[in-house]
Amino acid sequence: MSCKQVLKILFALVLSQVALSAAPDIELGKTSFKNNCASCHNKNMKDALTGPALAGFVERWAAYPKEDLYKWIRNSQAMINAGHPKATELWAQYKPTVMTAFPNLTDDEIESIVLYVNGVAAGTYPPKSADSVATGTGTPSSGGQASSIWLYLIFGILLALALFLWSLQNDLIYAKKTAEGDPSASKKTIWELLTSKSVISFVLFALVLFGGYATVNNAISLGRQQNYAPEQPIKFSHATHAGLHKIDCNYCHDGARRSKQSVIPPASTCMNCHKAIKNGSKYGTAELTKIYASIGFDPMTDKYISNYESLSNEEIKAIYTKWIGEEYKKVNAVTTLSGDAQTQVDDQWADIESSLTHASKPKVSGPIEWIRIHNLPDHVYFNHSQHVTIGKIECQKCHGKVEEMDLLRQYSPLSMGWCINCHRETDVKFQDNAYYETYKTYHLELKDGTRTSVKVSDIGGLECQKCHY
Amino acid sequence: MMKSNENGWVSVEELVQDRNFLESQQSEISPVAMDAILEDENLMDLSSNRRDFLKVLGFGISAATLASCEIPVKRAIPYVIAPDEIVPGIANYYASSFVNGGDYCAVLVKTREGRPIKLEGNPSSKVTRGGTSARVQASVLSLYDINRLKSAAKIQNGQATEISWQELDAELTGKLNAGSRIRIIGSTQMSPTAQKAVQEFCVKYPNTKHIQYDAISSAALLQAVQNSFGQRVIPDYRFDQAETIVSFNADFLGTWISPIEYASQYAKRRTLQGANLSMSRHYQVEAQMSMTGSNADNRILVRPSEQGSAIAYLYSLIAAKAGTSASAGADLNDKAKKALTAAAESLWANKGKSLVVSASNNVAEQTLVLAINSLLGNIGTTIGFNRASFQRQGDERMLAEALKEINAGQVDAVFLWNANPCYDLPNADEWAQALGKVATSVSFNTIMDESTSLCNYSAPDHHFLESWGDVEAKRGFLSLMQPTIQPIFKTRQSPHSLLVWAGSANLVTGSDQPYYEYLKANWRTSYFSGTDFQSFWDSALHNGVFEMESSSPEAPAFAGNVTEALGNVSKPSSSTNEISFYEPIGVGAGQYANNPWLQELPDPVMRTAWGNYLACTVSFDGDRRFSAENGVKEDGELLEVKIAGSSYTLGSVKQFGQMPGTTSVALGYGRKQAGICGTGIGTDFNASLTTDANGFTQYYNTNVEIAASAGKIEKHFACVQHHHTMGVTAIEKSSGQKINADEAALVDDAFKGVTKGYQGSLTKRTIFRHSHISEIKEKTEALVKERKGHQHLNEQTLYPGHEYLYNAGHKWGMHIDLNACIGCGTCAVACMAENNVPVVGKREVSRHHEMTWLRIDRYYYGDVENPNVVYQPMMCQHCENAPCENVCPVNATNHSSEGLNQMAYNRCVGTRYCANNCPYKVRRFNWYDFTTADLFPGNHKNLAGETDKPYYAENLVRMVLNPDVTVRSRGVIEKCSFCVQRIQEGKLSAKKSQRKLIDTDVRTACQTACPTGAITFGDSNNPESQLSKKLDNPLNYLVLEEVNVASSVNYTMKVNNRDHSIDA
Repeated sequence: MSCKQVLKILFALVLSQVALSAAPDIELGKTSFKNNCASCHNKNMKDALTGPALAGFVERWAAYPKEDLYKWIRNSQAMINAGHPKATELWAQYKPTVMTAFPNLTDDEIESIVLYVNGVAAGTYPPKSADSVATGTGTPSSGGQASSIWLYLIFGILLALALFLWSLQNDLIYAKKTAEGDPSASKKTIWELLTSKSVISFVLFALVLFGGYATVNNAISLGRQQNYAPEQPIKFSHATHAGLHKIDCNYCHDGARRSKQSVIPPASTCMNCHKAIKNGSKYGTAELTKIYASIGFDPMTDKYISNYESLSNEEIKAIYTKWIGEEYKKVNAVTTLSGDAQTQVDDQWADIESSLTHASKPKVSGPIEWIRIHNLPDHVYFNHSQHVTIGKIECQKCHGKVEEMDLLRQYSPLSMGWCINCHRETDVKFQDNAYYETYKTYHLELKDGTRTSVKVSDIGGLECQKCHY
Repeated sequence: MMKSNENGWVSVEELVQDRNFLESQQSEISPVAMDAILEDENLMDLSSNRRDFLKVLGFGISAATLASCEIPVKRAIPYVIAPDEIVPGIANYYASSFVNGGDYCAVLVKTREGRPIKLEGNPSSKVTRGGTSARVQASVLSLYDINRLKSAAKIQNGQATEISWQELDAELTGKLNAGSRIRIIGSTQMSPTAQKAVQEFCVKYPNTKHIQYDAISSAALLQAVQNSFGQRVIPDYRFDQAETIVSFNADFLGTWISPIEYASQYAKRRTLQGANLSMSRHYQVEAQMSMTGSNADNRILVRPSEQGSAIAYLYSLIAAKAGTSASAGADLNDKAKKALTAAAESLWANKGKSLVVSASNNVAEQTLVLAINSLLGNIGTTIGFNRASFQRQGDERMLAEALKEINAGQVDAVFLWNANPCYDLPNADEWAQALGKVATSVSFNTIMDESTSLCNYSAPDHHFLESWGDVEAKRGFLSLMQPTIQPIFKTRQSPHSLLVWAGSANLVTGSDQPYYEYLKANWRTSYFSGTDFQSFWDSALHNGVFEMESSSPEAPAFAGNVTEALGNVSKPSSSTNEISFYEPIGVGAGQYANNPWLQELPDPVMRTAWGNYLACTVSFDGDRRFSAENGVKEDGELLEVKIAGSSYTLGSVKQFGQMPGTTSVALGYGRKQAGICGTGIGTDFNASLTTDANGFTQYYNTNVEIAASAGKIEKHFACVQHHHTMGVTAIEKSSGQKINADEAALVDDAFKGVTKGYQGSLTKRTIFRHSHISEIKEKTEALVKERKGHQHLNEQTLYPGHEYLYNAGHKWGMHIDLNACIGCGTCAVACMAENNVPVVGKREVSRHHEMTWLRIDRYYYGDVENPNVVYQPMMCQHCENAPCENVCPVNATNHSSEGLNQMAYNRCVGTRYCANNCPYKVRRFNWYDFTTADLFPGNHKNLAGETDKPYYAENLVRMVLNPDVTVRSRGVIEKCSFCVQRIQEGKLSAKKSQRKLIDTDVRTACQTACPTGAITFGDSNNPESQLSKKLDNPLNYLVLEEVNVASSVNYTMKVNNRDHSIDA
């Protein structure tokens, strides 16, 4: 290959890269769809979910200029308020469900989504050969456990080696002394070595040292619960929702942006999607029925049951065992439930009932009582919005890779030292927010170069009454 | 010693430098309190031996280990369907209205997760203008009152048996028929819609009479206005337009008619702003020192029975100036005559810009007061009728008539509607008997009170925070009331009940909220004009207030019969001892008795809590000797009082400014059935009220005998007068030099001379400063000079590096205008509500254990028998060189870069060194687990007093707690935090909107509650802030500036406009 050819190929590659980021692209469309649309619009493009099926949506807007469709996608409510005929027609059909606004989507991104939607609807995407491409993004877990075993092993070997060398030295001394004809020479056994004063005092010293260290350490960790991962009433998997389906954390935990609490989502939020997705990928009806039984949704008629709170557990059981039975029949392609199948259905219901009830909550209906994982003491004030909206901290920084956790666990120690340390290290987003103009001195110092950054600790982030009041 | 003392004092003991008193001020635990502890029979419960100690110790360690090892499973319970309005963790505010009888305030209700936790004033209101009162602030706690009646009930022998509302409705409609003679007896009803409901009820039952009465009556005023101006209303008083104010016994800043409104007006002409160095002059004509009187420039002392003569005398003076002659009031005491002459001069000089008011319940006297105002040309300027007030509508004469009818068997049914005639009337006993004679009696009252327990049925009303409603407090100034929580109990609104019993066709019974629909329908027909009712309604509801044009004439002609009035004023009694009865700031006429925040709020003047006390005159005998009437030597001594045959035993307080030959006592106490907080607190004097010839209740009695004190002190006498005293000075006997009290304690014979110069020779302490308006220039100059001297002393700082941090961002500070502060205590209650400050009870208050973060100190100055008063709100001063910080062994209290003196409860180990080292005495120690916040239930056991459990142990009561403020447990110190939770919230909201912080982002609870705007909080580093502007005032000073603690709270010098011609 000549030099020219290589250059040509390189040039073409660069060009294609540029083209990729500028022109509509079906892969970009897929990503945008997953990030923005998939929580409300069905992935198969043919069935309605919370929002309508997207197949053919461009055609449905054909009577209007393209810009109208773009505007609609970026902010549907504005168009409804402006009285656009198509918009008001759609609103009449779907209200009160409001489509989320996506003001940041570019025209190209929207066109990419159109490409993807049309591709999926027509069955031309994904291409069959691409099936084998792995989608997993998970990385193997770190070898923390294994490496500490190695450390112990090395420590053990070194200890054995030391012991061996010591006894060897003793042997040599003994050999030397006998060679010199010293009558006091005696050969010491390993046991004698181990019970010698120096070893015992060393062991005692080590015990006190490690004992003290362990006591202090354990005392510090009293009441802390890092890695706490209790079984929850529903086997909800963040890995499925946040990882596989890439649902934004803020979609369900909508308090994190604006409130002190991140907010455990109400069952009604689950229903936004699970009105349509009635069978879980892992557990079928076993877990999803718990949501229905909590809120009173009848998946067979797609309607909420009126007066659900006043129904008895028996009445509720009748509704949902019927649903579970129906689904069983569908999955196993049978028309009647055998005795064995009935037992399975009953077992499943028994699990649902026990998950949704406890001694002080005898009724199946009503809120799902999750086990709280992150427990700050009462004298600590923590505000999510300060960290998420103002500090622009990623959720993962404190909560770990939640999108990889099937069973959620507490990632951080939530200790004061941990908080303080972050406040020492984190830069305040000083330039972007007019609020910080109050700190004139710091702005001056940043300008004249005597200061390179303002840490949280510089604006009082280490002071008691920032968190304790 | 002079008869006048310009340095100020707090009590007789301090004034005469009583040795025991001075010593008692030195020890943290008062000897009196210690005696009380030792005497206490409960002490036996505390006996324990070594074994118990070991058991407890063993338990303690194992429990601590267990508690910390085992992580308790906590549940996180989400909503099933999230309401769109509620975001957990974010407060919602709703505009509503506080109403209790004639008490009214437009409010904003702060709710968290659907429960109201705090009330703020609604600044859109043209009546209350964003102010509140102590009663308004405390009313949120009444929502969670465990004594509230929980359902409709049948009552037999005082015992309620729950029945359903349907059963009640059926039984009642079965008993009533079109001919039934029904008497609805209620307090003032300001709701137009409720009145409409009453009218509908009257249509169905034509023999119904709706009788309104006010426990503290203004019926004579209403009658006099009716006679003189042809309309039965309370005139629209405008204290802000008046240069001279003469008040005959009207406590218009504290309790009279519309105190929030009047206080805000009054303060406008009492504060000195910028170059405007003028203020109104206020004469108060009274016998006892009321809160309003304490704020006056001159108090003119007249006996209660002389009020009529005093008014008549003033009338004759004004009439003479106006060219008509009328000689009257000749039987008034000479001193008062002289003083009134001066007052008349001032009034006449400010014609059209003066105001005379009276709380008298005598039609002739009220007519004369109106005549005086008319002669002064005040009608239409300081007194208007266009926006007349409806805040008092009661007439006790109709009540007397109803009683006669009941006794004659002419009444079939009685409904009690927020009225308690079996307690708050002079003839309560007769009412108690009469109620038994009525076949059907229904009470709408919310607790099982004295009257409800005598009724057949209880149909409890909602709390106002659960109710729909409207109020027309002044003509055309409407406001709406909306529920901010689902009804906690199975209660029903009274007008709703009336409509149900009337079988009203306008009540949509199938609706979820029938009375809401009814209210809306009434507004549609009565107030709405236009096309879009929904948006009209939404905006009215959102704003909480709505203004209607009023076409009533502003200044109708005065048509009162003065000649007749002059003949009918009350005549002075020849009795040597008279008693006056007054409405206290807190518990009112008893309707607020079950609210512990109001019980624990000390009386502004007397400084007593949890009870009412007899005020005994203090006389100056010359040479540092004082004597109190009835031989009272010490506050709290029990006295035997005989009033017209009834005899009472109660504690006494030596009260400066109480007129010789008179005494006074608060009403509203001594409730027999008022729930756990109100029952049995204090003494009930309602039976000693008298009624004049025209049937109006008189709030004084001239037939009084008081036996000399036997020296026995009331058990748990809860007077906060000498608690947390600061800067007490003494005269050293040998040298006659003034020294600090802490030195005085050390001045022992053995150490004489040695202790001189102790603590840096600080022999002058500056707690408050005052000046007469005429000498303000000199006083200001002196102040500036003196402060310069202090500042020179104070150049040294303990924390040199702090300046850099203080200048970097915010620097929080406060300014308190002592000329605007009227001492009403609203801020103190607001602080308790905002900061989860516990209620401790009478016994603990008597032991100096009150927990209030903000107290209002009351100081006297001037004439020792009839002094002027300064009120000084005192809270943590957030000193830059804080003495508390450097004595804490665990660094639990330290300084923030924003100038806050921080307190970390979880770090505090309870040494109390900080409290001892605080020069302002504002730190409070949790002696007990008052709020049951402790992990160990053993600590909850109440050692604190009256009830079996601490007040906050009830889950219902705990709903009032502010979730953003830590609930402190036993053994830690707490104090004012400058509402740090509000500071943090305000900063966050500024950050979220990406803008600089502005004043309205951060306002402390005391600041927002204040009706007069006396408190300003803000960032002193921001030159644009309201605080920075207020700090630029030569009248400002720091309390105890000379001790170099560099506090952050500035006060202004108190300026009075005393008429010295009276003193001469």
